Amino acid sequence: MADPQPELLQGTLDLLILKALALEARHGMGISRRIAQITNGTFEVKAGSLFPALHRMAEAGWLVSSWGESETNRRARFYRLTRAGRKQLQAESERWERISFAMASALRAT
Amino acid sequence: MIGRIRALCRNVFRGERVEQELDEEIRGYVELTAAENMRRGLAPGDAMLAARRDLGGMDQVKERVRDVRTGAAADTLIRDLRYALRALAQHPGFATVAVVTLALGIGANTTIFTVVSGVLLKPLPYREPDRIVTLWERQLSSGIVGTVAPANFYDWRAGSRSFDKMAAIDPYPDFILNGSGEPRRLAGAAVSADFFSLFGVRMAAGRDFLPEEDRPGHNQVVILSYAAWMSEFGGRPDLVGKALRLNDANYTVVGILPGNFWLVSKASDFQSRTRFDIWTPLALASPPPEWQRGTHPLCVYARLKPGIPIARAQADLDRIAANLQTQYPADDKDAGITAVPLGRHVVGDVRTALATLMAAVGMVLLIACANIGNLLLSRAAGRRKEMALRVALGASRGRLARQLLTEGMVLAAVGCLLGSLFALAAVPALTRHLPADLPRAAEIAVDWRALLFTSLISAATGIVFGLVPLWQTRRVSAGDALRQGGRGIAAGQSRLRGALIVGQVAAALVLLVGAGLMAKSFWKLIRVSPGFRTGHILTARLSLPPRYANGYAFGTGKHRLISAFERDLLDRVHGIPGVASAAFTAYLPLGGTDNAWAFNIEGRPVKPPGVYDMTNYRPVSAGYFETIGIPVLHGRGFDASDDEDHALVVAINQSMARMFWGRQNPVGGRLRFSGPEWRTIVGVVGDAHHKGLDAAPTPEMYLPYAQVPNVELRPTIVLRTAVEPASVVSALRKAVAGVDPNVPIDEIASMKELVSGSVGQARFRTAVLAAFALLAVFVAAIGLYGVMSYLVSQRTQEFGIRMAVGASRGDVLRLVLGQAAKLAAIGIALGLAAAALVVRLIASLLFNVAPFDPATLAGVPVLLAAVALLAGYIPARRAARADPMTALRYE
Repeated sequence: MADPQPELLQGTLDLLILKALALEARHGMGISRRIAQITNGTFEVKAGSLFPALHRMAEAGWLVSSWGESETNRRARFYRLTRAGRKQLQAESERWERISFAMASALRAT
Repeated sequence: MIGRIRALCRNVFRGERVEQELDEEIRGYVELTAAENMRRGLAPGDAMLAARRDLGGMDQVKERVRDVRTGAAADTLIRDLRYALRALAQHPGFATVAVVTLALGIGANTTIFTVVSGVLLKPLPYREPDRIVTLWERQLSSGIVGTVAPANFYDWRAGSRSFDKMAAIDPYPDFILNGSGEPRRLAGAAVSADFFSLFGVRMAAGRDFLPEEDRPGHNQVVILSYAAWMSEFGGRPDLVGKALRLNDANYTVVGILPGNFWLVSKASDFQSRTRFDIWTPLALASPPPEWQRGTHPLCVYARLKPGIPIARAQADLDRIAANLQTQYPADDKDAGITAVPLGRHVVGDVRTALATLMAAVGMVLLIACANIGNLLLSRAAGRRKEMALRVALGASRGRLARQLLTEGMVLAAVGCLLGSLFALAAVPALTRHLPADLPRAAEIAVDWRALLFTSLISAATGIVFGLVPLWQTRRVSAGDALRQGGRGIAAGQSRLRGALIVGQVAAALVLLVGAGLMAKSFWKLIRVSPGFRTGHILTARLSLPPRYANGYAFGTGKHRLISAFERDLLDRVHGIPGVASAAFTAYLPLGGTDNAWAFNIEGRPVKPPGVYDMTNYRPVSAGYFETIGIPVLHGRGFDASDDEDHALVVAINQSMARMFWGRQNPVGGRLRFSGPEWRTIVGVVGDAHHKGLDAAPTPEMYLPYAQVPNVELRPTIVLRTAVEPASVVSALRKAVAGVDPNVPIDEIASMKELVSGSVGQARFRTAVLAAFALLAVFVAAIGLYGVMSYLVSQRTQEFGIRMAVGASRGDVLRLVLGQAAKLAAIGIALGLAAAALVVRLIASLLFNVAPFDPATLAGVPVLLAAVALLAGYIPARRAARADPMTALRYE
């Protein structure tokens, strides 16, 4: 049951979660679905990775959570970005773009 | 940062709420997934199942969330602790045995190591103690080492070049303190002026002796011990400079020793005295008169010059001795000088005994550790299924390791705690029961380094063996372990457990052999006939003030004063109801105090100068032999007519008669000492042990008190009673006070107590070794029992099958017992081999028992085998009793 790509996701997962919450507050499954949607289904984040990351990021002060009602009228915990979270999203996005640009040019080089 | 702290507080203080919310959150996730699956067209049941599968295990997810929380480590530790305690509580037998074994091992080791380090290893409490040596006169012909003549000390000090300082102590003079109330005897010593500065002592108050006070006529000054200052003078701050009335003379107090000053010595140094209350200058004349070369009262200490090795000092001393031999042949012809470092001198005799105890207790610790190992291995085998299950459920190896470590640590911690308590209680108790003549015993306190060391060893054992279950899961897949149902132990582990048992049995056997030999020695020792009566004898020591002293002249008025005192007192004592008879002696048997005289036998050629026949002598009063029960073999004992006014007489013991007269009858023969008068031998009496029950009696002679010049001022009165000796003590005190109220009386003891005290060291080491041996056997038996129980429980099904196909209960019993017997037999064989190597080392501690004592070497294995079989029998019977059908169904 081990996560298939834990190393890869270590930095990426945080960024994906921040991105998924950029527009609105979501609950856990909502975040998971949103990530699948915005990555065209490349990343399917399982609960075993998602929840530890959410709790870690909440303790880091990037997210806050509150209890609300889901679309099926079930109590669910909703996460949204804090000011620090938005800053982190900004910084991480820039960093990721630099890396992906660098990686892309490295792979294009012959 | 603030968010982190808030999170930590929430996690720690509202843990339950956090857990609840986590649970709800994840349940919500599953339900939402299920709802989505239903929207995709799955049936409700299938949707839920798919959602669960998608989640991948509720508990794993929760566990991973917990791991990222702030303070997760502390949280995990607390949960592990709780789990460990619960796991141990589920097996109270295992936990108790493990903890008790550890506690005993740690406690016993710390206790004994504390004693050993206190006596053997701790540096002596002086400045640069390695440079302090003791100097002794050595008889060149016999090699016997003894105390020093004042005139020789004077010449050694003047002639040596290797020492910074050389000082002497005369441990003899006592002082009677006449103050208010009862007269008190203070244990006194006379020392040369350099004595305290040699040891680097600085006075707590006042000053050291001055060189000019170390001269005859100027020595009416004293230094008090701290203890005497406290007990006799209530620590009065103005005591220094004050005059004291001692021995009917005035002395000025010049200094108080510090409370931590302790003259480290061994029992034989100062006639069994270990402390001194009061010190006065030795005040040798310069140069000393020649007769002071023929008397040997001094113990001499010296401080080596920096960088001078003892061998060079010894060469220096040999040169001095050679000079003295030619200069004073009459006294020094046969005299050499021996230098011994103080530390070696003090503990030389007890080194072997303490090393033996140390080795024994080390072996107990090994056995205890082996037991812990075995117990944890048993438990590990039992937990294989649990471990496999937990691995299957997704527990990580590190997580399991952490939890097993916690369990090991809990065991170790509780064991260490109890062990420390044990040591804390045992050390003072043991110090109280240490033989009185063990050097430095008073300095002993719990050694924390020893406690730490043994605790670490035990903890390491607990942890190493505690992790075995983890090691077992390393190649076994979860499925295999579960299918086997926790059975089928790895062969390697079973071998390891067998080896541990064999080792335990072997070590226990070595200990038992040692203890057996010691016990047999001790038994033989206390059955040695001392040569005198021990029951119903009371002894007490008197200290006569110096006005009774007779000087060196014989037959003076003062001499009669002592005789008169003794006669007067004996008359009164005979009147005490319950006293059958009473007499005086200067030196009690087993007391070890000696005074020797050179003598010539009438009709034999006179010896050349410097060559003597010498024997120890004991001044005794009329009726002494009858009172103390030394048999008169030929002739007669002393009676009231053997006084100053009658012919000089002497009685000799059997050894002396045999040595100097052979088969002839010595009674009626005559001998004389340095004076011109001949003394007639009137009787031969039985040998009495004087040095100790383990030392063969030596030639001795007895002289009537009234006919001894220079007689002892501290006579011992011996009472034979018809009643319990202790019951006449107060009447005795009254009788003494009736004769002279200024005579202190102390050292009151029954002869039984004295005899018992004289074998104190032997009893101590025998008792401790026996206790360790029994402990070892007990622990080893527990180990064997544990292993056999476990093996039996593993093979229940096999036994069921065996019985189902016709094996009888007896067959099963024999099968199990055979396995126990095999382990025990290997252990016993190895133990015997080891014992053969070891017993040689303790030969010097044995008395009248050969190291290879056949009875012990045969008896101990039988005893151990019996215990081993008993330990194996209980589980074996359980195996044989099992109902075959139950056994087969068992699983």
